[in-house]
Amino acid sequence: MCSQGRKGFLKNEGGFKTMKEITLTINGRQVKGKEGDTVLEICQANGIDLPTLCHLEGLSDVGACRMCVVEIERERRPVPACTYPASNGLVVKTDTPELEKYRRLILELIFTERNHFCMFCEQSGDCELQKLGYQYQMDNVRYPYAFPSLPLDSSSDYLAIDHNRCILCGRCVRACSEVAGIHALDFGKRGWRTVVSADLELPLGESSCISDGACMQACPTGAIFSKLSLYKGKTSECQQVITVCPLCGVGCELNVLVRDNNLVRIEAPSLKGSRAALCQKGRFGLLRDNRLRVTSPLVRNRRGKLGECTIDKAMETAAAKLIELKDGFAGIISSRYPKETLSLFNRFVRQATGSDWIDTLDGRNYRLIAGGIKQFSDRGKGLDIECSIDEIPEADCILVIGADPLKTHPLIVSLIRRAKSQKGAKLIVIDQASDVFSPWSDLWLKPEAGSEGILFSGLTKILIDKGLVKQEKVPAELVQSLSRYKRDDVVRATGIGIADLESAASTYGKAEHGVIIYGEGLLERNDPNLVTCLLRLADLTGNWAENHLRVISFKPNANSRGAWELGLAAKDIPSDKLKGVYLLLADEQEDEGRWGWLKGIDFLMVQASYHSAITSLADVVLPSPIWAAREGGEYISMDGRLNKSRQVLQPKEGLLQDREILIELSKKLGHKLSPS
Amino acid sequence: MAKPKIATTWLAGCAGCHMSFLDIDEAIVELANLVEFTASPVTDIKEFSPVDVGIVEGSLNTTKDVEVLKKLRANCKILMAWGDCACFGGIFTMRNLCDKGELLRRGFIETESTKKGSKVPASEEIPALLPQVKPINQLVKVDCYVPGCPPSAKAIHYAVVELLQGRIPVLPSDMMRFD
Repeated sequence: MCSQGRKGFLKNEGGFKTMKEITLTINGRQVKGKEGDTVLEICQANGIDLPTLCHLEGLSDVGACRMCVVEIERERRPVPACTYPASNGLVVKTDTPELEKYRRLILELIFTERNHFCMFCEQSGDCELQKLGYQYQMDNVRYPYAFPSLPLDSSSDYLAIDHNRCILCGRCVRACSEVAGIHALDFGKRGWRTVVSADLELPLGESSCISDGACMQACPTGAIFSKLSLYKGKTSECQQVITVCPLCGVGCELNVLVRDNNLVRIEAPSLKGSRAALCQKGRFGLLRDNRLRVTSPLVRNRRGKLGECTIDKAMETAAAKLIELKDGFAGIISSRYPKETLSLFNRFVRQATGSDWIDTLDGRNYRLIAGGIKQFSDRGKGLDIECSIDEIPEADCILVIGADPLKTHPLIVSLIRRAKSQKGAKLIVIDQASDVFSPWSDLWLKPEAGSEGILFSGLTKILIDKGLVKQEKVPAELVQSLSRYKRDDVVRATGIGIADLESAASTYGKAEHGVIIYGEGLLERNDPNLVTCLLRLADLTGNWAENHLRVISFKPNANSRGAWELGLAAKDIPSDKLKGVYLLLADEQEDEGRWGWLKGIDFLMVQASYHSAITSLADVVLPSPIWAAREGGEYISMDGRLNKSRQVLQPKEGLLQDREILIELSKKLGHKLSPS
Repeated sequence: MAKPKIATTWLAGCAGCHMSFLDIDEAIVELANLVEFTASPVTDIKEFSPVDVGIVEGSLNTTKDVEVLKKLRANCKILMAWGDCACFGGIFTMRNLCDKGELLRRGFIETESTKKGSKVPASEEIPALLPQVKPINQLVKVDCYVPGCPPSAKAIHYAVVELLQGRIPVLPSDMMRFD
């Protein structure tokens, strides 16, 4: 059983559905629907209850469980409503005693097939099979039980599969392939021995699974469950809060389940749509952070040791030091904070301390990206020239340049893999270090260090020579300036063979929907011209999605773009004149490479959720709530989407919000900071 | 009119269903006026005499369970199954996932708390394990079921009252429990 073959039989094909209205008779009632709808969709839209197990909104339908069987006039036998295309004049019955008898029979057969005893199942109370058992008053089973002894696969760090609880509905298989784009799961073996299997029956932890957890969210029973959320609470015992993932620039919406001020689990709000997947970091990583929390303010004492003190004392020490400093003070903030905190910090630095040295931790990325965009087009579009990540799953060619999405922006992996499997997209990786998409990439170009500029110019020249560009966009001076990039020279400088160069150029040039994605690896070259080259490449090949070029730059945090657009990263801080730094680190990971230069600072104040190398350097450490306890606010995703975060947990007792600290601190500096 | 007679028993069970029955609180006094409990773990009468209703908790695990169930079935007009073990097999079916010999070895010889040199107890008085644990309807005819692990006191009360009023109880969906 391969999900790929049947996928999109009706719904996900796109364009199959017309808007033509049709009328059906269901249980003697006239109802309306659209041509291309399934009978199940029309029933659901009209409030006609049909039991389902293998159907899940957002996934294609396969008719595996047969719970939704209906009688249709002129059909010889009951058919599953989820795969039956509705047509005008269809006469359907959903609630005859005969159908109810079949459904109960199906349930009993499912229950006897494997271990479906609820009293020792983690999912009891959240199980769709159990719910149907109750609904159909299944108080006994007429058939002998099979009791197969199947293994429990707990080899993954996050997920466990208990095959004994599996009903083979295939929702995990479809979620893995259609939502996460990974297709690590499929069915193995045959007949009643069929099991869900990762790759070719590898343990999940050793397979190509990326632990994004879509399968777990799709599973109707206790067959796939999270090791981190086990027995922490049933859905009915939890509050659900929709917020934004603070981690990377994608800024996924999260549905966070909370019980007694504890995180229970994190889900995608829905499995429908192009942003339906989550990644391992968002779904599991946020639940488990083993770093040591900063729970009390710390001040460096006369003997040079950090010691605990009250928040008031810490702020007084800080204020005295800031007043003493007079100049040479800079404020640096993590772009994991919402707009409200960022703008308050902006005002704190500029008004309360009078400094205009302000930056975000990822400000350098902005200056390179924005510099490149400015050189390409001076029409003031700024970051808005880039396209939405929704362009990725629609692409037929994707260039991934100096980016490792699985490490930094894992959701993008899902989108790219979906483009590959669903649109047959060609994937070209340009990376000096490694082929980050092996074995799924079609081509890996490995330019010599620092030769990216030559490579991009060389590619552009080949495209122009081959006539794969929009001619009206090719000014004579461009042709002139590219004339020095002779193929042999490009081959020599980049170390890439001519065949690969030409193949990359013609694949991208012939694509109708080519998307360029670049990241940290390219920005490390510190050259905005590289960004300009990529924008030009997209422009020349006509890769415009309305007003946006199909180019996407990776931005490190959920509110990087929000912070940059507030002007927090407008200029470099002259580090040679720097005397004091106030760093709002939030819960960002320590990265010594990034702030080793802070070691020589006279005065360093760090506001952080976790102890790290950087807090141990500080003169004053103030505790900052972790992501879930942080006050809500506005976030701008890397492709410009406005997201709203919400506070999920109450902070630990006595812990102030960053907003409160900034206001108090400015009071101590003799400045009244308005909260908004 | 003589009071209807009820006999109850437990096979492979944990007594939880009987506990849940005692949880019907003051209704038990009322019930005691309406029915007569003969053989039951509650009355500690062991031998079955003919009754109107036989109630079984637990699944079929040993040869003794088979014997007891057959006797009760022969002595009652209506047989009611209490709890997931009797209705479906329940938690005892976990042993069906492994081999019987392996199970006994692990249980009596290899557990962390057993002394070295322990053996699987064997005696004619100890009933033998059946090859597999089964729900009771795979051996005898069962007339009505009250699933749950254990069934709620409310569900048990509902089922008994339905019987007293001459109806074969089927639990409504909101009283159904498999855990």
